[in-house]
Amino acid sequence: MWEALQHTGWVTTLATSRWLYGLVSVVHYSAVFFCVGTIVLMDLRILGVAYRNQALSVLAEQLRPWTWIGFGAVAVSGFLLFAVEAGDFAAVTPFRLKMLVIVLAVVSALAIEWSLPKWDRAPVVPVTARVVALISILLWLGAILVSVEIPALTGLG
Amino acid sequence: MYDAVLACCRWLENTPWGVTVRDSSWMYPVVLWVHFVGLSMWLGTSLAVDLRLMGIGARRQTAVELSDGLFSWKWIGFGVSFVGGFLLLSAEATTYVTNTSIRLKLALLTPLALTWHLVVQKNTRAWTQNEHTSAIGKWAGLIEFLFWISVVTASVGFLLTNAVVLRRT
Repeated sequence: MWEALQHTGWVTTLATSRWLYGLVSVVHYSAVFFCVGTIVLMDLRILGVAYRNQALSVLAEQLRPWTWIGFGAVAVSGFLLFAVEAGDFAAVTPFRLKMLVIVLAVVSALAIEWSLPKWDRAPVVPVTARVVALISILLWLGAILVSVEIPALTGLG
Repeated sequence: MYDAVLACCRWLENTPWGVTVRDSSWMYPVVLWVHFVGLSMWLGTSLAVDLRLMGIGARRQTAVELSDGLFSWKWIGFGVSFVGGFLLLSAEATTYVTNTSIRLKLALLTPLALTWHLVVQKNTRAWTQNEHTSAIGKWAGLIEFLFWISVVTASVGFLLTNAVVLRRT
């Protein structure tokens, strides 16, 4: 299935055009930094180390659209870059691990979104919230770590 | 001039940290990770303020509130990414310096973007009046946004044309 994707017309166009591939990479890198940056900021706020003078919900309201638009751009551009070497990526453990870590990271982000109104109403940010925020930071930074290890370990990318 | 730069690169490569990162089988990707973690904080915060100045994604917070609130984490991110980038450069400086994209990034685009960032940081308050951003503030935000995208573009250009291939471990 992934091998077939790799050999479809538009994917070979992307793979053989240095400019197109470069452009998609620029979108992917910029959006990753923006998406992870805004998520980690929110997590740091929950942990009580950043932006303490603002209510959780006010900062969340500000960052949320940017985070998810960024994530959408990451996912689309990431899929395009994956497609170029789809068969190879799908076969190696580091790439599968990366996908797993990202799924877990998204789950943690959704869990935070879900619970935020409740945490915001509490007089002090609950311990559970801090633990989830810390896990979220570790998962998102872990996703970047796995990503840089893929070329180092497999030569792909 | 170029001889002086090359001498600097040779010195960097022979520093204890340059040698350590270059000779290690695992450090290069980890240092790249550190660079990226710092960048996430730096670009996450800086681009957020730029977008807010442009009025994109405006919510209850004004550009100046956002800028003040994110100030310390922005510069922590910058520090982390600078240290990471410096170590990456130290490991392979004489090879890097032959690459046009990295020359463009380090000698032109990053200094310009950083200078412009300081201008924006200094004037965000003046550009925010009655919760609205002035026209000049909007343009300033857009220009900074484009500056940083150009830095990322030069970096990707470097990654795609880099003579140094990441060692397989």
